[in-house]
Amino acid sequence: MNILTIPLRNTRKKWVKTLLLLVVFSLGVTSIVSLNYVSSVVGESLEKKLTAFGANILVMPKSEKLTVSYGGFSMGDMLLGVTDLSESEVMNKVTSIELKDRIAVVAPKLVAMAQVDGATVGVVGVRWEKEKTLKGYWALNGEYPTTPDGVVVGSKAAARLNLKQGDSLELGGAPVTVSGILFPTGSDDDSVIFAGMDFAQATFGTPDRVNFVEVAALCAGCPIEDIVHQLQEALPDTEIQALQSIVKQRMYSVNFVKQLILTVSIIILFIACCMVGVTMLSSVNERIKEIGLMRSLGFSRKGIFGIFCFEAMIIGIGAGAIGYLGGFALSLEVLKILDMAEDTTLSFNGGDMALTCLFIVGVSVLSAFFPAWKASSIEPSEALISL
Amino acid sequence: MLEAKNILKTFHSEGVVTHALTGVDLTVNPGEFVSIVGRSGSGKTTFLNVLSTLLAPDSGEILYGGEDVTSFSAARLNQLRQKDFSVVFQFHYLLPYLSARENVLLPYMRGLAPVSKDAKLRADACLERVGLAGKGSKIPGHLSGGEQQRVAIARALVKESTVLFADEPTGNLDRETGESVMELLADLKNDGLSIVMVTHDDEYAARADRVIRMADGAVV
Ligand SMILES: Nc1ncnc2c1ncn2[C@@H]1O[C@H](COP(=O)(O)OP(=O)(O)OP(=O)(O)O)[C@@H](O)[C@H]1O
Ligand SMILES: [Mg+2]
Repeated sequence: MNILTIPLRNTRKKWVKTLLLLVVFSLGVTSIVSLNYVSSVVGESLEKKLTAFGANILVMPKSEKLTVSYGGFSMGDMLLGVTDLSESEVMNKVTSIELKDRIAVVAPKLVAMAQVDGATVGVVGVRWEKEKTLKGYWALNGEYPTTPDGVVVGSKAAARLNLKQGDSLELGGAPVTVSGILFPTGSDDDSVIFAGMDFAQATFGTPDRVNFVEVAALCAGCPIEDIVHQLQEALPDTEIQALQSIVKQRMYSVNFVKQLILTVSIIILFIACCMVGVTMLSSVNERIKEIGLMRSLGFSRKGIFGIFCFEAMIIGIGAGAIGYLGGFALSLEVLKILDMAEDTTLSFNGGDMALTCLFIVGVSVLSAFFPAWKASSIEPSEALISL
Repeated sequence: MLEAKNILKTFHSEGVVTHALTGVDLTVNPGEFVSIVGRSGSGKTTFLNVLSTLLAPDSGEILYGGEDVTSFSAARLNQLRQKDFSVVFQFHYLLPYLSARENVLLPYMRGLAPVSKDAKLRADACLERVGLAGKGSKIPGHLSGGEQQRVAIARALVKESTVLFADEPTGNLDRETGESVMELLADLKNDGLSIVMVTHDDEYAARADRVIRMADGAVV
């Protein structure tokens, strides 16, 4: 028996009120916890899906443009210092930066021109595995090449050159076979022929040389500027370009959901706090004579303050624990309904639960501060005569 | 031992000014039983509250053990209320969710330290003294009005204080129960407790060592 006996007994005696408060508060915590869990899982998979829309960072050789003119007569631009990139070097450097976990795929490109039946067409050397990941939206009539001399032809190029799956042709003097035709993508991909990197390097350039490298980074949670900065440091002789609009759009969709959920969570929490505050305030008014009596027995203001804060703490612990468990269970259910239960990393976490409880207790006690303060500032004689 | 000097108290509420105490003096000697009588509204309760430190006067001194309690810090006032001064009200003010015994022990539940064994023994003795042995586990709602008031007296006794202030302790009780409460007070006085009691009952008042009569906020 000590001062805590008083709030404990009161909570038990007024169990209906306590239970109602607990139910409402717990429901609030449940919705907050499940909203956050579900959103983090959905956000993660959304991020993964968003990478399917291509690269957001370009790694290019540094180049300087010099406009040449003589006597006011422009003779056009001259590109100085254009060098190719070393594929192996870029791949190594890119995959060893600090934020490497945020990089989803690195796809090197070698661009060349070739003559097919007297027509000029662009040939792009790619690493098939990387390209497939980068361009998840690609769809083929046919299949990806399995041999080094297989090529994939863009839809416009196929129409122009009258090519179809299984056709043979020569590129830069070497024979190749069309293994698939791309469905229209609405991008530059439609007008070119994609060849395997090794074939392209052997036919059009030198081994290990590429023209530029496309990088897809997951950027909902991290600033793209940091990745660009780190890439620039790793590859000082190249030009790193972030395709800001794509990045921003991706971050926007993910962040929008997160922000929406944060706002809803705060509103729910605020309502729960108001509930606790109002209940405590009415409890203080109802027990004003008790408070006066305890003060007449020598209870300090701090003691009275503590009694009410402790009651809020009991509610907070209960609501935090029940709410967390409820929220966790609800998240699993919701993810099951969303058919995302498999690709989740959601597992029960005691630390999270303790943290949630601690936070909810803090919020609950904070909501009881004003009522508790009011209770502690009542003068004993006034409290005893009040109605 | 307890001395009130020239106590003034004025209430201002909703534009009405009430001069509740207009210069009251009183000395209570150790072991003395003083009763205060007077018409309703004469300032008896106000005076008792000032004496027991539950209400701060506008001016005047209350000397206890040679010190002016009106200038005490909050901490020292709490100490005084914890130990030396006990108050019994017309209404019992028992906490409904604690048993009779726990209510008696309430003065010892001030802090985080658990109630001592010694205090528990004393609480049982006090309950026995007010004639409630064996009823300690009942909650106030299951006790009669007289029993409730006696629990409240036991709560005042358990502290073994030096002064007991009682504001119409028999006000809510029938004659017979009131009588038993008065006998208890007489008993306590014989044990050396100083008692200041406000009452409307002239017969009960007459049992005190001294009767003070108040009118319009002053002793007459
Ligand atoms: N908190 C207060 N605010 C305003 N006026 C008050 C307050 N307390 C007492 N009074 C006024 O002070 C005067 C004295 O009140 P007090 O309660 O001391 O009378 P009393 O002698 O105890 O009366 P009763 O015998 O009816 O209990 C009354 O006129 C009352 O209206
Ligand atoms: Mg009165």
